[in-house]
Amino acid sequence: MNANPGPDGLLEGVIVGLQEEVLPFVSNAKAHAAVAMMQSILQGVRQMLPVYDAYLIDEHNSMTATLRSAAVPLRDVTGPEADRMRERADTLGKIADLPAPTDRAALIDAHIRLGRALEASIFDLDVLQRAGGHAAAAADDALTVIRGHLGPRVVRDTQVITVGDGVIGRG
Amino acid sequence: MDRQLAEVLRRLLPDAEHVAVEGFEAIPGGFSRETFRFDAHVTRAGVTEAMPMILRKDPPAVEAILYTSRQTEHELLGALGDHTGLPVSVSYGCELDASVFGEPAMVIQRVHGNGHTSDLFHDGPDVDQVDAVIGHLCELMAELHTADIAKLDVGGKLSDPRGVGVDTSSWDAYMDSTIEYYISSYPDIAYDPIAMVILDGSLSLRRNKPRPLPLAVVHGDFNPANFLYADGKVTAIIDWENTRIGDPREDLGWMVAMDNMSNTSVMSHPRDKGGFLAYYNELTGFDVTEEELGYFMIFGTMNIAVPITAAVKRRVNKEHSLFLHLYLVQPSAPTLIAFAQLLGYPGVQPAPPPEAQPEQRQSTGVNP
Repeated sequence: MNANPGPDGLLEGVIVGLQEEVLPFVSNAKAHAAVAMMQSILQGVRQMLPVYDAYLIDEHNSMTATLRSAAVPLRDVTGPEADRMRERADTLGKIADLPAPTDRAALIDAHIRLGRALEASIFDLDVLQRAGGHAAAAADDALTVIRGHLGPRVVRDTQVITVGDGVIGRG
Repeated sequence: MDRQLAEVLRRLLPDAEHVAVEGFEAIPGGFSRETFRFDAHVTRAGVTEAMPMILRKDPPAVEAILYTSRQTEHELLGALGDHTGLPVSVSYGCELDASVFGEPAMVIQRVHGNGHTSDLFHDGPDVDQVDAVIGHLCELMAELHTADIAKLDVGGKLSDPRGVGVDTSSWDAYMDSTIEYYISSYPDIAYDPIAMVILDGSLSLRRNKPRPLPLAVVHGDFNPANFLYADGKVTAIIDWENTRIGDPREDLGWMVAMDNMSNTSVMSHPRDKGGFLAYYNELTGFDVTEEELGYFMIFGTMNIAVPITAAVKRRVNKEHSLFLHLYLVQPSAPTLIAFAQLLGYPGVQPAPPPEAQPEQRQSTGVNP
C-alpha cells in the first residue's frame, strides 16, 4: 500500500479540492450547503479512520467482558431470562479477546523505512547486473525475489485503489 | 478576459479591422493546459466572419504537469500544416507575456469533430466507425513517423525541449541520454517507496536496449483522447505540446499504456488489418515486434510519468493544493501492474482487455 499519500492524505485533498476548486463556483445556496456537508462527512471519516480499528477491537473485547460480568450477579436467579443471560455469558462472552492493532504511525514509519531499503537494493542489484559474470546471475535471482514481493503488492494495491474504468476528465 | 483576448487577436490578425469575442468558456478535460473555447467575430474588408477558436494557457508553474513552450507548439503546428497532410489546428499565434492572461498562452483554431473518443468503443454510439477512424489514425501516425525531421524541427527545438540533456545525434545517444534522464529523475518522483517499480523499469530499460530504428518526430502524447473524429475520419490530432524527436515506437508504447488506462481498445483496430500494430508495420515497414512494444510501453510511459509524477509528488509534499494531482494517484495505479507484467514479476497476471488481440496479451521485452 501507499504509505504516502495514505487514506488521510487523500481525504484531506478532496476536502481542500472541494473548498478551493468547487465551492467558489457554486452559486446555488442549497448546493453550497451540500458541498459543505460532504466536507463535514469527509472530515469526520478522517477523524474516524485512525481510531476505527482500535475502537472496534476495544469495544469488542469490552462487550464480551460485559456479557460475562452481567451474568455474575444473576448466579442465584432462576427463570428463562436469567438462563438467557448465562447462556450469552457462556457463548458470546467467551469469545477470545482480539489483539490490539499496531500503532498506525509507527507502522507507516517502519513501512517506509523497509520500502526505502528495497529501493536501495534495486539500485545495488542494477550495478551487479551490469557488471556481468556470476554476480550478475546472482543479482538477477535477487531481483526476482524482490519482484516476487512487489508483484502481488501492486496487483492488490490496484484492486483496492481503483474505482471504475478509465481516467475521469479524458475523452 | 474578452477584452484582453480581442486585443491579442487584433495583433495576431493584423488584417482584421475589428475583433469581438463571444461565448468564452472553460473546456473541461485536458490535464496539462487550461483551455477555453470561444468564437472570434473578425471583420476584414467590411465582412465579418465567425471563427471558432481555443485559448490554450499554461497553468501556474508549481501546478504544471508538463513544462512545455507555447511558442514551440505554435511553430510546430505551422510546420505540420505546411509540410504534412496531418489534420491539425491552425495556430494563430502566442501571447507569451504572462501579464496578459496570467500565464503564457496561444490561440488556435477549434476544429470540428467529436472529442469524446470513448464513443467509439464498447457500447458507444459510434462503434460502427471505430475501424475506419482508428485505421485513419494509424495512417496519420505512420505519416508523422516517416516525415522529414528537418522540415518539422523548427529551429532545432524538438531535440531536447525539456532541456534535460537529451542527445539526438544518434539513436544510441538518444536512448542512453533519455534513460539517464529517467533514472536521475527518480528522487523527484518517488513520493512513496512503491515507486521502486518505476525505478526497476528505468534500470531495466538501460540493460535491455532493443534494435535501433531511425529517429522521428513523435507526437509524445499519442493516446485515445488526443484526436477528434467525424464521419469515419480523424478530423484533428490535438495536444502537440510534448512533441519531440524520439523513437517512433514510443508513441505506440504510450498508446498501449493509455489504451489500458482509458478502457479503450485502439490497438485492436482496424480489425481487417490485423490491429493497429500490424497495420502500422504494413504502412511503415518498421516491423515493430510485440517485445519492442513492451519495451517502449515502459520507455514511452516514463517520458510522461517523470513530469507528471513529479507534479504528484509536489502535491503530496503540499507545495500546492490542486486536487487533480492527488487524483492522478488513483488512475495511474494500473500502470504499476503493467510495468510489473512487462518486467516479468512473479505472480502478476492481469487480465487482458476484453477486446485485445491475442498478440497484445504477451509483451515481455524487458525481463530481467
